[in-house]
Amino acid sequence: MNDAKDDHTDAGLDALFENARRSAPAMSDDLFARIMADAVAATPARVAAARRVSPWGRVLGALGGWPSLAGLSAAALAGVWIGIAQPAAFIAVQSGLGFEGAAVASYELEDLMPGFDSLSAEG
Amino acid sequence: MTTPASDPAASGDAALLAAFAAGDLGAARVLTLRIAPRVLGYCTRMLGGDRAEAEDVTQEAMLRLWRIAPDWEPDRAKVSTWVFRVATNLCLDRLRRAGRAVDIGAVDEPEDDAPDVAERMLDADRADALNAALRALPDRQRQAVVLRHIEGMANPEIAEVMDIGTAAVESLTARGKRALTAMLMPRRGELGYE
Repeated sequence: MNDAKDDHTDAGLDALFENARRSAPAMSDDLFARIMADAVAATPARVAAARRVSPWGRVLGALGGWPSLAGLSAAALAGVWIGIAQPAAFIAVQSGLGFEGAAVASYELEDLMPGFDSLSAEG
Repeated sequence: MTTPASDPAASGDAALLAAFAAGDLGAARVLTLRIAPRVLGYCTRMLGGDRAEAEDVTQEAMLRLWRIAPDWEPDRAKVSTWVFRVATNLCLDRLRRAGRAVDIGAVDEPEDDAPDVAERMLDADRADALNAALRALPDRQRQAVVLRHIEGMANPEIAEVMDIGTAAVESLTARGKRALTAMLMPRRGELGYE
């Protein structure tokens, strides 16, 4: 049943078709490069590797990677150390800013939040 | 049997796609060189000669092939047929957006302006004359004629690409050829054939 209806083919039309087959447009280097760039980006192994990133890896990425995490860690450790050791140099800085040691030691929550005292008294 | 990794050029399309799914970019290169030029030619004719748009469609169709590679089922279809089908749908989408009506069952006879189309071919060479006549066909007729007579596909494969029955393909190609003949007949002498 192969194309019985086409048996009356116009020979001239067939010649034009043949001409069209010979003059098919060539693929440009630019298009080839674009298609291959897509192939590289969509390489299944690459995509699968990206999908394998752990939740911890995503958190790390959100924070800016290892350099940012190292900075955050250093800052946190420095804060803990200052709080525990209270180094003399840091106390001197406090004094220079007008914070005397006794006054600093006497700070209570109400000093920072004046409304808290009356609020807690009202129950 | 030669494996895609050792000689991609000698491998079947499905084997190449499987090799690409395993990370072989050389397989993607061979597939691109095999399929993309044909799809580009087809899309160029489908889109009325708009080369830039045809390139975009070809790139998009190939991208979809890369993405489906890991899930490709060898029994699904021929790889090239699948790409042609994707490209067909992309072309029809663009033609719709451009405001051209796409009648899925279009089997119209040549439009009344066929003589005008012929008149516009006065200075055209054979290829231009054929392309101008193809552009005057309803989209589905043009699609069937190009796939059958320029891409050289068999009717069952065209049916798969167009998602219609084989009988409908035969009808579309027959009517399309009649329309082309009617449009080109007056120019026979000028186009250099009798």
